[in-house]
Amino acid sequence: MKRLLTLVLALVMALTVLSFAAAEDEREEITLNVMLPDFNSDKDWVTLEDGNPVLQYIYEQTGVKLNITWVADSAYGEKTSLTVANPDDMPEVMVMQGVRDAIMISTARAGAFWDLTDYIYDAENYPNLAAGSKSTYDNIAVDGRLYGVYRSRAYARAGIYYRTDYAEEAGITEVPTNVEEFKELCFAIAEKGDAYVINMCKYVAGTIGITTVMMGAPYQYGVDENGTIYPAFEDEKFQEGLDFLRDLYAAGGIDPNFMTIESGSWNDAERSIPPKAVMRLDCLDNGYRYQEWLETNVGADPENPIVTLVTALPNDDGEIQIWPQNIGASGEVCVTKAVSEDKLPAVMKFLDWCSSEEGTTALNCGVEGYTYWIHSDGYRYTYPEGEEANKDQYTLYTNTVQHSLNQLGMNVHGDLSPKAASTILRSWYDQNLIDNAQYVISNPCYTLESQTNVLMGSTINTTVEDAQVQYIAGKLDLAGLQSVYADWHAQGGDKILAEYQEAYDALY
Amino acid sequence: MTVNARSETSMPVTRKIESQNSVKRFVVAIMRNKWLYIMMIPGLVYFLVFKYLPMWGLIIGFENYAPYTGPLKSPFQGLEWFRFFFSTPMWLNYLGNTLILSFMSIILTFPAPIILALMLNEIRNMLFKKITQTLLYMPHFISIVIVVSITYVIFGAGGIIYKLTENIVGHSIDYLGDPGVFRWMIVGQSIWKETGWGTIIFLAALTNVDTQLYEASMIDGANRAQRLWHITLPAIRSTIVLMLVLRMGSVLDTGYEHLILMSNSLNRTVSLTLDVFVYQNGIKGGLYSYTTAVGLMKSIVSVLMVVTSNKIAHALGEEGLY
Repeated sequence: MKRLLTLVLALVMALTVLSFAAAEDEREEITLNVMLPDFNSDKDWVTLEDGNPVLQYIYEQTGVKLNITWVADSAYGEKTSLTVANPDDMPEVMVMQGVRDAIMISTARAGAFWDLTDYIYDAENYPNLAAGSKSTYDNIAVDGRLYGVYRSRAYARAGIYYRTDYAEEAGITEVPTNVEEFKELCFAIAEKGDAYVINMCKYVAGTIGITTVMMGAPYQYGVDENGTIYPAFEDEKFQEGLDFLRDLYAAGGIDPNFMTIESGSWNDAERSIPPKAVMRLDCLDNGYRYQEWLETNVGADPENPIVTLVTALPNDDGEIQIWPQNIGASGEVCVTKAVSEDKLPAVMKFLDWCSSEEGTTALNCGVEGYTYWIHSDGYRYTYPEGEEANKDQYTLYTNTVQHSLNQLGMNVHGDLSPKAASTILRSWYDQNLIDNAQYVISNPCYTLESQTNVLMGSTINTTVEDAQVQYIAGKLDLAGLQSVYADWHAQGGDKILAEYQEAYDALY
Repeated sequence: MTVNARSETSMPVTRKIESQNSVKRFVVAIMRNKWLYIMMIPGLVYFLVFKYLPMWGLIIGFENYAPYTGPLKSPFQGLEWFRFFFSTPMWLNYLGNTLILSFMSIILTFPAPIILALMLNEIRNMLFKKITQTLLYMPHFISIVIVVSITYVIFGAGGIIYKLTENIVGHSIDYLGDPGVFRWMIVGQSIWKETGWGTIIFLAALTNVDTQLYEASMIDGANRAQRLWHITLPAIRSTIVLMLVLRMGSVLDTGYEHLILMSNSLNRTVSLTLDVFVYQNGIKGGLYSYTTAVGLMKSIVSVLMVVTSNKIAHALGEEGLY
């Protein structure tokens, strides 16, 4: 009897210990060193040890202690290359901003990152990651393998926004419904002469790209009816777009100094009183932010916005094309070999959690009662109900999540966090993302391999882009532009085309 | 090995003793000045750690370096990158931009501090001289980013100088975009920023000039220009030549920060030098091996320039660098 009791007791004890161990196992505690780009470099970052409530919340939910190294966005590219060059001192999880550039490809091939393909498509263990877009995953694959989880970005972000009041003063009260009317609008404002029309800066790829794609040109490379690949700038529609910008420049519609304005100062021309330029071809989210800036600085009426957002205009042939702001992703989150093979499933579990509803909320909005509050109208605010909007509270929100922790947000199946109270333009924008994604075109060569492009692409493409700027600014004529195009072919362009063609023919 | 052994045995006994003696003499010489040698150690360590050790990194210019794999295991591929660079049609353009900008800056910026130092040397009012000197040193401490920003404000459309030229010449000059103006702007900014600071070494050399020579020549009736030409300049000639030879070594270092800040779509045809190319494709683009090879090639040209200019200095009867 006594022996039996002992046995039972021993069994109970063993079971208790086992169940404890099992519980521990489920919530394996790990510390994770993460490197993220910093868009908010003057912020006071609070670490987990110092009691950052959001990191604390993440730790309670997942058992992951996040230890974040912030690297200024402007220096992130350089820092990335130095980081991967030093295997002993790599962070465990890092954002790679370029998914197809030389650093990403050579580092992935060298084996610095874990091959995550089998984890990502494992729907049973990592349901959120597996729910991501297959085509976007294909876009970030290196040699057909995935070395990271993409950071999801909306496709249809590009478009036109302009000051309604300036358009009306120039006699155009209707929002343009096609490319022809858009051109008329531009020239009407230019003729009125109160301000420059299109706000441009050193970064011209966006403006030229949006214009030419809207007119019907392909994006970067096109494929003709015979299946031959050609550079976009040789499309006649591309030339049409350049000619339009050149004419507008000649008509005084573009700041003659635009090519010396740094992209960091791009906002300055429109965000001044009175504005120096009243239209921009860029991400449309900048458009509603511009309206919000006008509300705080000029007292514009939120109910009656003076900024108009337009996109998806049919061109002369009735086709609608939208410039791809990105490939559906802005960089990817990679797991380096600093993580041991045993630790990898736990890390993947965490990355999976980041894309869950709780995860996206924590990374994009923070913690309720600290960085956001849900008011009785069901929307998310950065201040408690019954209080006024508060600058300190807003700063806390941007310091902690927006432009900070949200850099880790992959949101592979969308932003599941509670919606912020929306303005007219924000609602319009959100609807546009859904309605117009179908019109976004892509670069047929994006996933194709070309060694010459890796070595020389950026150099010779910059030369072409420079010539296009000179053409717009009237410093180069059509013959000069075409001779630069011919040089592009001679200096490696023909080789790039041949390599792409070979890869393309092998696929289709 | 065998050759060595044979030569050891065939060495006459007397010479052996002699060589032992010379070793002994060497040790004695070191022991005699041991504190000097000990004081030299930090300098030696500095050069070893920061100048010689990093040279091993050049090995990646000869291989297909992958960051994570490291320089020891990356595949070796000899002179492939050099061949590739010379096969691109643009290399002559980069080298040309580099050489033109370098020589323009040598010809125009090198004499500037000498002239300024001679001018300062002629100032007799000490208070005025001190204030002038301090003001001249100041631009050296201003970051090039600020210098370029100031340039943008006063030379850009609407800036003071832009408007001034418009009024005087009758048409505007695109100071920031015109490729023909670009190099002059770069050289001008360098002169404005560094000339004052550059006078220091020449002013120091000028203090060594024997004042008795001036007095003697004044008695002989030499005027200021003659004193300058016959006494001051010959006295600092060796300093000038030394500085020039040193300068030749870094003649191809156009730097990238200044040029990138000043470059834009209109002037890139003249602003793309080898340094900018290496920065943009190497540090930013991740083409480490390729750009290391290009950088090494630039260094080789620089070494050749130092050796040649030193030879020329010797031929002119100066001491030169070594």
